[in-house]
This record gives sequence, structure tokens and C-alpha cells, in this order.
Amino acid sequence: MTVPTKDQGILPTFRSPIVSELRFFNSLTSEQGQIPTYRVLDGVGIPVEGAQLPEINEEFARRLYEHMVRLPTVDNVLYNVQRQGKISFYYGEEATIIGSAAALAPDDESLKLEIGQYREMGVLLWRGFGIDGVMAQCFGNLEDKSGKGRQMPMHFGSPELHFHTISSPLATQIPQAAGVGYALRRDPARRHKNVACVYFGEGAASEGDFHAGMLLASTIPCPTIFLARNNGFAISTPAHEQYAGDGIAARGPGYGVDTVRVDGNDILAVMNAVTEARRRCLASGRAVLVEAMTYRVGHHSTSDDSFAYRGRQEVENRKKIDNPITRFRLFMESRGWWNDQEEEALKSRLKKDVLTALRKAESLKQSDLRDLFTDVYAGEEPWNLREQREELGALLRKYGEVWQPWQSELKRFKDGGKKLME
Amino acid sequence: MFTQASPLRRLSSFVGISVHSSLPQIDRLQFSRVRCRRWQTTTSAAAEPPPAGGHLSSVASSQFLCTTRDSALRTPGITWADEDTHPSSPQNVIGGRETRKMNMYQAIRDALSIVLAKDDTAVVFGEDVAFGGVFRCTMGLAEEFGRERVFNTPLTEQGIAGFGIGLASMGHTAIAEIQFADYIFPAFDQIVNEAAKYHYRAGGQFSIGGLTIRTPTMAVGHGGLYHSQSPEGFFLGASGIKIVIPRSPVQCKGLLLASIRDPNPVLFMEPKILYRSAVEQVPIDDFKLPLSRAETLLPGSDLTLLTWGTPVYHCESAISLLRSPPPALEPLVPPSLRSATVELIDLRTILPWDVETVVESVKRTRRLVIVHEAGMTGGVGAEIAAEVQKRAFLRLEAPIRRITGWDVPAALQYEKFNMPDPIRILDGIMETLTY
Repeated sequence: MTVPTKDQGILPTFRSPIVSELRFFNSLTSEQGQIPTYRVLDGVGIPVEGAQLPEINEEFARRLYEHMVRLPTVDNVLYNVQRQGKISFYYGEEATIIGSAAALAPDDESLKLEIGQYREMGVLLWRGFGIDGVMAQCFGNLEDKSGKGRQMPMHFGSPELHFHTISSPLATQIPQAAGVGYALRRDPARRHKNVACVYFGEGAASEGDFHAGMLLASTIPCPTIFLARNNGFAISTPAHEQYAGDGIAARGPGYGVDTVRVDGNDILAVMNAVTEARRRCLASGRAVLVEAMTYRVGHHSTSDDSFAYRGRQEVENRKKIDNPITRFRLFMESRGWWNDQEEEALKSRLKKDVLTALRKAESLKQSDLRDLFTDVYAGEEPWNLREQREELGALLRKYGEVWQPWQSELKRFKDGGKKLME
Repeated sequence: MFTQASPLRRLSSFVGISVHSSLPQIDRLQFSRVRCRRWQTTTSAAAEPPPAGGHLSSVASSQFLCTTRDSALRTPGITWADEDTHPSSPQNVIGGRETRKMNMYQAIRDALSIVLAKDDTAVVFGEDVAFGGVFRCTMGLAEEFGRERVFNTPLTEQGIAGFGIGLASMGHTAIAEIQFADYIFPAFDQIVNEAAKYHYRAGGQFSIGGLTIRTPTMAVGHGGLYHSQSPEGFFLGASGIKIVIPRSPVQCKGLLLASIRDPNPVLFMEPKILYRSAVEQVPIDDFKLPLSRAETLLPGSDLTLLTWGTPVYHCESAISLLRSPPPALEPLVPPSLRSATVELIDLRTILPWDVETVVESVKRTRRLVIVHEAGMTGGVGAEIAAEVQKRAFLRLEAPIRRITGWDVPAALQYEKFNMPDPIRILDGIMETLTY
């Protein structure tokens, strides 16, 4: 116990009291323990004692559940498609996303803004992106509005749904989210109505951009929710090789940011935490950090075999005891809102939808080959791009029919590349 | 007249040897030996320093600066913002327009205040910009427009660039400052991977055209390794951004206003040695100068001298040294070369650059010398030289020459020997003319 002595005063630029006892510390809790994890439902879907359930009715619960189940359905189909070599790359997802999406997008609000990481397809689906949009992007066909077939699969974007286009460099969108938050604060139509929310994994939080984004959103300040999904792995690197501190949440107070840690496999806990984070964010105009603790049950991506660095049994166990979908299903069943019959019907309907969308996406051609060169610059096309476009056109006229690698590739495009050759 | 004589013949007229034009191989050898001897024998004669001031046109006395209202208002390529809304009104109406004497930092401040006054979404931010900026470019803006619009950020360049991208992605006008171009590298990822690709990767759905990153660049006399750099070349491959470097207050205001309003992210690099030293009459109205257009400052027919930023004035000095060398240099500048006319071009926009103006000029003059402060290897000069030799191969009478900083970091005590100064430019011009 060190009591500051008044006569010793404080430092000129700091409100820190002066003490005479030398004491180091390495924890945010007074007991030198870890930051606790907020939970509403236990592993079998029973509300934890003292926990406040979010106000959800049967209809809303069914909607949540359907969106949760849709994610692994899409996942499995795309995963298998990728294994057959139809699309080039695919990342898994976290069912956790639906809880935050629901908290960010209550029905009375249509304007929201997220900046996503790879795994946030669920947010888009929640907002009505549609399974066709997902497939179009993954196949990069002519219906791909996200990026005209320019980006790898799972790099979605939609201005209408306020979802900024995903990019591969990790954490770059974290300081961008602070800027987005600031723009919302400065916009009279959206001030005190909307927040920016940025999703990232615990691995991305090791990037300098995480540090930059937290600093900017706290000092300037900007209404931005930082949503860290701590799933224990960044590809093969376990979290304990990513940081030595108390997760990502422990960093929040260092930046002067209100912070909470939540059980990311508990959709109701995530909803409550993000709803409250959003309220604080809007009220204070400042950043809020939410760390959702999850476990990545799938592989990092289709290029990754995660059993090379973790036990198959460990993963199987986690799937059983800590499955976010099972947990919520048990909760619904306990209320009489769900049964096996409905489960089967939902699963077969979702699978049918996904397969229909898949077949459609597969059958569509690629976009216009000219789009290789458009949108680099807005406005006037620079001479170098114009000349290079014309050069490719001339090469295609000359070799398009006789050079096999181009011949077959050209057939995949809408007009066989004819417009580019003009 | 001058261009029609063969280089060797012209050389012979001042080194005092006769050249047999039917034996070009031998002539070339003889020529190089003679040239070597010439330099060896004359170095001692040139040992005395040039007279202070006098023949060297410094920035302050440059003829490229607008000393009168009329010259400022008649800046080539100028378009007035208030005329944009009235397409029927005659262009370049200058009656009733006023100018004010400004240095470059004042012209920047003036441009920023115009944008802040006209565009409610515009904000200015960076390290230390709220009190006026370490180079005074944002003086009084925070007081005038409030701390919500002109504010300090924490010391994080990657953060500043990322924050600007986020703001601009919402359709706002984000004017970010990186305190020195030397410190832009932490933001390299945000600029190259994010800003440059933002519009393209989103299929044109998202734009960050409202983003402008201002940063002081180039040598300042005593900046050492990290207050002297010219990193424009590193960004050449970042198709999707524009890079602009002005040479004077009028140029700075017009190009900055154009950059801020361009529908693409722009890296605006301000030669810091000119902040105070370049002073001219600047129109007080809202105007812009075109991006991706070079400006021919001096017409000529014997050699094209291409540069941007600070070296514009070194080039001007070199041309005046060529025309009328001071006594100490006189023996080194052959009289036959003094009448050569050099076409001086300010490139202004580095990316995408104005290939048309440059190539048209080189096709006429048949010789090109490129001057920049950054090191030679991988510099912007390499890009331009490659493109020009492709387009003007049959017209070139001499190799394209680059006069640049050496491929070394900007060593503090050695700056005078590292930067492309007037004497190096003069030498490069003469070597190219006599090739």
C-alpha cells in the first residue's frame, strides 16, 4: 500500500502521484491477474448466473442462427470448390461476426461502416450482400462488383452496405478506420449516429498500424470500435508467440481506450458487448476496444494444413465443447424456438441456396478484359496506361489465336477480349 | 546553325586540334585524350572561387519568379476557379485580380486557407501543424478554422497516411503532412499498397481522391541524411498516385490547389529550401495549374535541360554560366558553346509525367540532360531517359545524361559535393554539347 504524500506533489506534465516505494507492475488488475472474459451463455446454452440477456425475440434469434449456420455452409462449399481448383484461395470465417454485426446494425439503423479483415463475410451477409455477391467475388466473374475480378477471393466490398473493400495487407485498415470515424464525427448527418468498426485478428494487432490506429482514435479522438478477434493462432503462430502480455485487451487502457474482453463463442455476450461499446463510442466520440476470445477451428486458409502445428484431437474437442453454433442452438431449444426438424430443413435449404449460387457464378464469364487497365486512376487515363493497353491489344490481335495460354484464357472473358483488341 | 556542325568539329574549334572527320574511331580516341588533358591542365587555373553573388543567379534573383502582378496573373496554364462555374466567360480574365508578395510557405498557407474556407469537409493534420507547422505552412489556420479542422496527430507517419486514407474514403478532403519526406517511409505501405490501389481494387466503387500528402523535400544545405532526401523515385512504381513537385510560390499554390482537388491521391513534395527563399507575386484568387504538364521555362534549340524543384534554379545558373562565364571559368567554357541555346523544362509532375512535352523538345534539340537531387540509380532520371531514348532514338546526337546526387546517403559535411550544383550542370551541358 503506497499512499501518495501530498507534499511531494505531482510532475509538471503528468497527473501521476509521487511515491517513495519502488514497485514494478505487469497487470491491469490489482490482483496481478488477467482481464476477465465476459460471458452470457455457458457451454450448453444456459444463461450464466447474473448475466443480462440481450432483448431478442424468437424471430430475431432465428435470424441470428440462420446467419451463423450459413457461414459454415458457404465455407464448406467454397472450401471444396477450392480443393477442386475452381477458385484460387479461400479463407475461413468466425461465427462470432454475426453477434457484432447484429449489434452494429439494429433494424432502425441503416448506415453503418465497417472496415473488414478477411473473415467478415458474415457482416456483409447479415446486411443483405447476398450469396450471389459472395460467389461473384470469389469467382471474379462479370457480376463481381467488389473488385471487377481484380482481387483474390474473399476480398469483398460494398459502399451501399458501408463495407470498405478488404485488402490483404494486415492491419492497414486499422488507422484508416480512425479516419473513417473522424469523417463520421465531422458529418452533420451522421454525427452521434454512426461509428466506424474495424475487425482484425490478434496477429494483425502486432503490426505497427494497430498501434497507430489506437493512438489516433484515442487522441484525436474518433468514434471507432476496434474489434479484435483473438482466435489463438495467426497461421501457425500461437498467440503466446504473438505477445507476452494479457492479450490485446490489456493494451487498450495504455491508449486511454475503454476496453472489454468477451467470450467470442457466445453470440449473446458479443451482442451485449458490442452494443455497449457502440453506445460508449457514440456518447464519448472516442475509440472503444473489444477483444473477442475465440478459437480458429478451421485451417487458416486452403493453403494451410493446420494439423502440421496443432493436434487434430485438440481441434475436435474444441469443436464439441466450445462450438458457438451449438451453444446458441441449445439456448434456442431451451426456449422452444428450435428443433431437429427445423435444423435439417434449414441446413438443406442453405446448402441448396449456396449450390445454386455457385453453379450460377461458375457459369458466368469473367469481366471485360479492358478492366485490367481501368480504375488505376480516376479521371483522365495517363499516356503510359493508354499505350500499354493498346500494346496488349496489338499483341492479342497478333498472338491471341495461336498462343495457347492466351487462347484458352481469352475464352473466359465476356467478349473474348475483343474490345481490348479494337 | 550550331546543331548542324559535327560535335568533333565543334570541339576542334576550341581545343586547337584538327579533326579528320573520315576517321571517326581514331578521332574519338584523340578527342577523349585531349579532353582529359584539358581538364587536367585547367584545374589549377580554376582553383580560385567564383566571385560572391554576381554572375550566379540565386533563387532570389531568378527570372522565373513573378516580380510583377501582370506576370503572376499571366502564369502559363493558369485557370481561375471562379471561371469554372461560368464556362461561357472568357478565359484568363485578369482585370480586377490582385496579387500579393508571398514566399512559398505563405503561398501554401494561402492555398490551404482557400480550401478550408470553400470545402467544409477539408481538414489539415500532421505532426505539429496546429501551432503553424515547423515550416510555418499552416500558420494561423487552427485559429481561423478551429482545432477540429487543423490538428496535430501523434508522431506516427503510417498512422497519418492511414488516417488520411480513411477520411478520404468517406469523400472528405484530407490534407496530411509528413514533416520531412525523409520520414515518409514508415507510410510507404499505406501509400503504395493502400492509397495507390484503393480505387482499382474496389472496382472503382471506393475512391480516396480527396487525399493529398504534403511533405518537405530536397536538400537544405545542412540537412544531413534525414532532412535532405528526394524520395520521389521510390514512388514511381505506385501507379494510382500522383507525385507533384513545385518550384515557386505561384506554382506551389496553383499545383497544390489542383492536387487537393484532383480525383486521385497526390503526393505533394515541397522543396524546403524554397519555403523562404523563393518570393514572388502570387494571385490571391483561387486558381489552379495543370497536373501532368511540364512547363518550358526557357526555349532553346541545342539541348533540353529537364529538372524539377530546387535544381530549376541551379539549372538557370548553369545556363547563365554557359552564356557569360565569369573570368575564373572563362578558360573552361569554349566560346563556341556560349551561343548554344538550352531549353529548360520544369517537369512539375513526376507521376504521371508529361512525356509529350519532353520528347517533343528532345526531338528538336537532339540532346537531353536530366537533373535531380536524388541518387542516380533507380532515380526518376532513369525512367525518363529510357522512355526518351525509345521515342527519340534516331534524333539523339548524344547520350542522355543524368546529373544527380551520387548513389550515397546525403552526408552532412559533404553536401556541396553531392548535390547537382550549377558547375556540375554546366559541365554536363558542355560534355553533352560536345559529344
